[in-house]
Amino acid sequence: MSLWAFYARNSQEVLGLVGQHLYLVAISTGAAIVIGVPLGVLLTRRPRWRGPVLGVANVFQTVPSLALFGFLIPLPFIGGIGATTAIVALVLYALLPIIRNTYEGVAGVDPAVREAARGMGMTDRQLLTQVELPLGFGVILAGVRVATVVSVGTATIAAAIGAGGLGVYIFRGVAVVDDTLILAGALPAALMALGADALLGVAERRFAWRAP
Amino acid sequence: MTRGRWLCTAALILTGCGHRDRIVVGSKNFTESDLLGEIVAQQIERRTELPVERRFHLGGTFVCHQAITSGQIDLYVEYTGTAYTAVLKQAPVADRDSVYRTVARDYAQRFGLVWGKPFGFNNAFAITVRRRDAARHGLRRISDLARLAPGWKAGFGYEFLERADGFRGLASVYGLRFAAPPTAMDLGLTYRALAEGKVDVIAGNSTDGQIQALDLVVLEDDRHYFPPYEAAPVIRQATITRHSGVAVALAQLAGKISDAEMRRLNALADVEHRDIATIARDWLRATVP
Repeated sequence: MSLWAFYARNSQEVLGLVGQHLYLVAISTGAAIVIGVPLGVLLTRRPRWRGPVLGVANVFQTVPSLALFGFLIPLPFIGGIGATTAIVALVLYALLPIIRNTYEGVAGVDPAVREAARGMGMTDRQLLTQVELPLGFGVILAGVRVATVVSVGTATIAAAIGAGGLGVYIFRGVAVVDDTLILAGALPAALMALGADALLGVAERRFAWRAP
Repeated sequence: MTRGRWLCTAALILTGCGHRDRIVVGSKNFTESDLLGEIVAQQIERRTELPVERRFHLGGTFVCHQAITSGQIDLYVEYTGTAYTAVLKQAPVADRDSVYRTVARDYAQRFGLVWGKPFGFNNAFAITVRRRDAARHGLRRISDLARLAPGWKAGFGYEFLERADGFRGLASVYGLRFAAPPTAMDLGLTYRALAEGKVDVIAGNSTDGQIQALDLVVLEDDRHYFPPYEAAPVIRQATITRHSGVAVALAQLAGKISDAEMRRLNALADVEHRDIATIARDWLRATVP
């Protein structure tokens, strides 16, 4: 069966899985931003924590997803089977680029600019929200962009823990070696990654003028 | 090195057909298949002079089938019921001998592959539940599950959900209606999910070591839905013609592994984390001296 015939016949199912996939990526990347950006900022204030925090985020990247799921299944609240576990895993995978770029973006602000802001009598909070974050925004966004594109790809493993998404077609296709089925999952995922990359690329360029 | 050996080696290098002189053994991507592949490989090494190359943990039935029909591997261990339903696309039947006969005949005619004698055990899909649930609800057979299913959660691997001898047929034969559609997940994670109470019933394999280790029980297939899954080596006809010693070596393994023995060997690997090569060597030394 050709790919197009497959899509025509299963359009409802395909749309459902694409929706699940987008949901997994959106929630997990959103959560990774909420956790990662403050952490990155914190590292600029407490440079001594930089090594350990980035080290831990780094380690998460290296844990194979099936092993991670195995560890997560017994845990209350964040574990079990289904979307929650998949999202927790995706957040852990997305943290590193966001924390790192936030740190680099904020720490990379020209010391002279920071001095000038201090001289104008800015408080710590004002310095952060009015100077450092706006100036580092392009770099932070670049981190979010990497995290999002990678998440679109890794979200296919959610199908291994019953969380759905486009990985369902890939896993089913691998189980019965059906190339059409594998492509049916892989192709939209790839398009989604390219789309997210282009969209965030445009946003990045729009804000690039703010960076020094 | 004699002149003859020299010429031979040179010819091999020039024609790039070193493959003729070694046996390539494949296996599927789970412990039991790796173990049987290793046993077969070591047996060939012991009984013939041929070097054996191992291509283990290939991605499942279809990858192995593609590999052997295209000559990438010379043999691997397959299960009769799997070949019957998944490769030959026949509707599942329960008769052990007719499945073996059909599979052996069709493989020889269609693919030029020979089925060796089965090892002696049957590794069926195993509908598995926690022991305490079985005790509490008086569960012994799959047909007992029908009345509980509406309140239970099931988690199955993708292969079980997709195959002709998998979930769909099982549900209709036993009238199983679960509260929600079964959760599709990675096969290896289903044992963990069952043991942790995240699902209530899974489809494992009857010879898996985890069944005992995690205190689970297998429900009896009282309506004989599952076809027999006898493990046996599948070999390229061309390989046997060239090296008759391989067939002789494999024949010595026929009927040597019972269900309980296979479960014990799997547990050694999966539960006690012993090295597969060592398990195979010890077993061969003790059983086929």
